[in-house]
Amino acid sequence: MHRFFARRREPPPIGSDSDDAELLLAVAAERTEALKILHRRHAPWLRVRLSRRCADPDLVDEAIQDAFVAVWRDAHRYRPTKGDAAAWIWTIAVRRLISSLRRTATIPPLARLEDTVGVRPVVESAEDAVLVGVEHGELGTALARLSPELRAAIQATVLDGLTTREAAQLLGIPEGTVKTRVMRAKAQLRGFLA
Amino acid sequence: MSGMSEMSAVWHPPADLVRRYATGGLDPVQVMSVEAHLARCGGCRTALPYEPEWLAESWERIEDVVDRPWPGLGVRVLCRFGVPEHVAGLLSATPSLSRAWLVAVISVLGFAVGSARVTSGDPDALLAFLVVAPVLPVAGVAMAYGRAVDPAYEMQAATPLSGSRLFLLRAVAVLTVALGLTAGATLLFPGPLGASAAWLLPALALSLGMLVLSGHLPPLLAGSLLAAGWFGAVLICDGVLHDRFLPFQPAAQGLYGVAVLVMLPLVCLRHRRLAPGEHQ
Repeated sequence: MHRFFARRREPPPIGSDSDDAELLLAVAAERTEALKILHRRHAPWLRVRLSRRCADPDLVDEAIQDAFVAVWRDAHRYRPTKGDAAAWIWTIAVRRLISSLRRTATIPPLARLEDTVGVRPVVESAEDAVLVGVEHGELGTALARLSPELRAAIQATVLDGLTTREAAQLLGIPEGTVKTRVMRAKAQLRGFLA
Repeated sequence: MSGMSEMSAVWHPPADLVRRYATGGLDPVQVMSVEAHLARCGGCRTALPYEPEWLAESWERIEDVVDRPWPGLGVRVLCRFGVPEHVAGLLSATPSLSRAWLVAVISVLGFAVGSARVTSGDPDALLAFLVVAPVLPVAGVAMAYGRAVDPAYEMQAATPLSGSRLFLLRAVAVLTVALGLTAGATLLFPGPLGASAAWLLPALALSLGMLVLSGHLPPLLAGSLLAAGWFGAVLICDGVLHDRFLPFQPAAQGLYGVAVLVMLPLVCLRHRRLAPGEHQ
């Protein structure tokens, strides 16, 4: 239904300086040039960020391609009120990466475990404000003191915005282990920050 | 382009830090800091170094998928079950799998079940069902292909998939649907299942006969001949031999069974001959 109406609506003219929401509107109206601009704008940083979670460049490339194909088909579902377009595309891409990891059924070839960090970009919160300057802040010091395993767990679940199951697939450990690691990491962080 | 994000993030990581993030030379907490910033700062995201060749190649592959027409629901379901995409596309364009044919089959079956239920298992209603049911798949197949019924005939006549192979594919699809629907109707019939399922072997025999004959005759003619033969046999049993249910007695069922066993290998051979490349 949405797709049907989206097709009818005349999208605004777009160019390389249009914002993401405008471009997604044009993608929903099946305009490939809008998808191309989005790809040009987002594929490079997605590649770097996904590469920190999976050391196999082919899987990363595949996840990016799948993600943009999914953006093409689902652009009509995007609502600017629900969050930033970059965050929306990131979520799609990281889910694609996890499902292709699951499909290949290998133990996820992680980039160095201590590199598996990220942030959940959707939330506008005090947590973000702290994270922006995390390098210099107390939280940065506290995170640096966590063991790599605990940090990876909390990064995947709390900061990358993955579900426990997705985090388990990404990290190649059982779901129960993810849960206990997240609990231990949170307890330690509370202790460091107290 | 993302003015709002840039305003909310006052601090920008130095260009050197961003470059080292891309090449993998940062410690975990620094990576985290950069990623947190990149997530909300479009300006810094575009400042990330990238390989133009990689970007172009990635886009080419996306464009390739995106430019293809999005297949219909039927095709996607078939592909999920392992049917090759070109075959799925042709099957979903089968004229007799159209809504009109399905509606016709379902209403005939519905009528048969309904009348049997209303008359609470009247032998006449059962007989009517048993006589008509074996012809439904054949009728569907007769309409599956040909100049007279297929709007896409001209186009397919010019495609590399041969007419006979296409016919066989579609015929099997139609038979499967028709047999499935009739089997469903059988379950709704009052009375013992054995009696109302007596159409199955004649239906299979007629369907296979259809597949065998259609190699030599136009489908419409083949279908008409088989239907005429079947109805003729039923009338002879009733009028001459005075046993209306004779075509469904165990002896007759045995004959259908033999016919099925004889024709099945013929059809399989023909299919193999028509599709030499598609068998592992």
